[in-house]
Amino acid sequence: MPELGRAALIVCLGLAVYAVGGGAYAAWTGRRRLAESAQNAIIASFAAALVASGVLLGGLLRHDFSLTYVWQHTSRELPDPYVVSAFWGGQEGSLLLWLLILTGFSSIAILLARRSAPSLLAWTAPVLGGVILFFSFLLVAVASPFATQAAQSDGLGLNPSLQNPYMLAHPPMLYLGFVGLTIPFAFAMGALLARRSDELWVVVTRRWTLVAWTFLGFGQLLGAHWAYVEVGWGGYFAWDPVENAALMPWLAATAFLHSVMIQEKRGMLKIWNVLLVIGAFALALFGTFLTRSGILSSIHSFTESSIGPWFLGFIGLVLAASIALVVSRLPLLRAKTRLESPVSREATFLYNNLLLVAFCLTILWGVAYPILTEAVRGEPVTVGPPYYNFFLKAFGLPLLVLMGIGPLIAWRRASLRGLGRTFAWPLGVALATGVALLVLGAGSSLPGLVGYTFCAFVLASIALEFARGTRARRALSGGSWAAALAQLVGRNRRRYGGYVVHAAIVLLAIGVIGSSAYDTTRERRLGKGETMAVDDYRLTYLGATSERAANAREIRAVVDVQRGGEHLGAMRPGKNQYFAEQQVSNEAAIRSDRLNGEDLFLIAEQIGPNAVFLKVLVKPLVNLVWVAGFVFLAGSLIALWPDAREQRRLALRYGRHEALARA
Amino acid sequence: MARRASPARLVIALAVATMLAIFLVYTAIAGGTPQLRPSELKGRTGEVSLVGKVVGKVSGDARRSGLRFRLRDVEGGASIAVVYRGSVPDLFKSGRDVVLKGRLHTGTFVGTPNTLSTKCPSKYVAEKKS
Repeated sequence: MPELGRAALIVCLGLAVYAVGGGAYAAWTGRRRLAESAQNAIIASFAAALVASGVLLGGLLRHDFSLTYVWQHTSRELPDPYVVSAFWGGQEGSLLLWLLILTGFSSIAILLARRSAPSLLAWTAPVLGGVILFFSFLLVAVASPFATQAAQSDGLGLNPSLQNPYMLAHPPMLYLGFVGLTIPFAFAMGALLARRSDELWVVVTRRWTLVAWTFLGFGQLLGAHWAYVEVGWGGYFAWDPVENAALMPWLAATAFLHSVMIQEKRGMLKIWNVLLVIGAFALALFGTFLTRSGILSSIHSFTESSIGPWFLGFIGLVLAASIALVVSRLPLLRAKTRLESPVSREATFLYNNLLLVAFCLTILWGVAYPILTEAVRGEPVTVGPPYYNFFLKAFGLPLLVLMGIGPLIAWRRASLRGLGRTFAWPLGVALATGVALLVLGAGSSLPGLVGYTFCAFVLASIALEFARGTRARRALSGGSWAAALAQLVGRNRRRYGGYVVHAAIVLLAIGVIGSSAYDTTRERRLGKGETMAVDDYRLTYLGATSERAANAREIRAVVDVQRGGEHLGAMRPGKNQYFAEQQVSNEAAIRSDRLNGEDLFLIAEQIGPNAVFLKVLVKPLVNLVWVAGFVFLAGSLIALWPDAREQRRLALRYGRHEALARA
Repeated sequence: MARRASPARLVIALAVATMLAIFLVYTAIAGGTPQLRPSELKGRTGEVSLVGKVVGKVSGDARRSGLRFRLRDVEGGASIAVVYRGSVPDLFKSGRDVVLKGRLHTGTFVGTPNTLSTKCPSKYVAEKKS
């Protein structure tokens, strides 16, 4: 069987070579049938990647310990779902997953674009082929998942921290996001290579960018929730290099999603958009590099390996080649229109882009800082959460304000008088909220107070936008308010889907601010029968329990919880001592209040019959962070949903061009 | 091209200048922490973050007088005594690679509370199953 897997990967490599060589030659000389056969080679490479993945999955499920990969990452006792997740638990397998998703996405993109934008495909296919070539080369020559050894009776098992339901979904989602960013990159390069100056590549890849961005965003929130519930230090994001690795391409893609609208509507920012799409793709590669090369030791990087230099080389090649291409096509990318006023919709998009990119670059700087200082000074210097939190505030708060201004401000040029009228309501709501919060005591954190005032401003401006649209719709067609709202959203899915995503970001901000600026942490040794008060909670230590489960001894501290005289029951934070792994894991106890979204988070240490060391965190509004994930998903789905009206409009706009290209 | 310079350029230039300023102010007041191995610690008095392997016996109590252990260069060589108070990660034990902040004080590295974390072994190998 491993021979079949290896052979499939070699076939995949061969097909990729053909897609690059044949495809480029066909595009250069204008041979249509050759170009189509190069595209078909990419579709065939998906079949080859499927075969290779099938072989690896089969090996995993059959516990074939003659495969080194299977031996290294699974064991006989490992439950089946985790055997499947071992597919991406190691380096070789996750590279194969990259290849599988890449060839799959490329095939779908080619099949879809054959109908909507065939003229773009000629040069896009060789670019896609180039990326496939790199990954299949790695899998064939550098990190083969099909290396064999003398068969062993049992495997080494999967890292316990990966044996978790979240780890079934979180890594593949991030990969779907990383890989998805390849498609807009390839189409942008394809359009430049074909010397096209129109916006067709933007239109064709809008949904791809959205899908990749949605997966990346939701995948990161899943990871955050895993960290919160399972790792149990009381937080959900620690600015770990690997968390940053996924955040950076997401920020670049967020900037891109916004600035392409300006290109579509006004023909501006063309160079900027191409640079952003290159940057997002390079950051996705860099993210894979960070998580897979072991260059930064963090809890996520389990491997230290030979693929690092190859990855860096490929990222360098991608950047050099695509920037050279952009420079050689500069005359094509000249904007049709210019920014007319620094107070306009376009300008707010521009500010939003600058802030997002600046934030992304500061994170990149922080991640690369230890590597750079080690190279220059000989000793690595690290920057910690304070560095990132500073820039989160410095760039995040203005971004929040822009999110409220952008949707309401006029295109091209807004008058100051118009501005006053437009923003009277949201500004009033924001001020009222700020004053009310100040009275309620939110002044204990200035950034928190400012953040919440901004959140109120954005929510008010989104609500105003929905209300105005619904009223206009109802005046036009009559009917109920609900019907008018449904019609409004249905007819402008992109726009209102986007506003729902904005609302999700505000919810996220409210949750993050609440749990980081207004949280309480207390820790102390608590004797049996003793009580400690934290905010309005009263916690009493009742004693310890110890139970033997199948694979671990579960030691728990039983803590009685009261709030405002009301008895809320017992919570049981503790430790699990795993027998086989000889490892202790912290089992935090979390009590979520459904009404106000607050969590009481307990960590117990040194649990004894007479005393316990208890760390208590009260995290207001933290549950809004998870709610935001689902609102985000809903907004993305609204924006992604196929829209027949939009398709017709685009067909009208680009149809003639395509008909000419086909003739 | 129009006679008047585009406001876009002015806007971008101002924005970039502002961001650079914020950045400079930040790096001027805060800055990072150097990361050292035990063998490089000699003569350093400022706060550093120390990376090393826990060797020998671990004694004491992190919640009372302090957890006491020795850290050695991951590659081997010199080691130094460490005393630390605060939360201890699950994976902490003799033989693990750890990192913590702190400063040198008369030959002992005094850890900053709640900064101890374990570095995952670069390659995970499970313990022998019984």
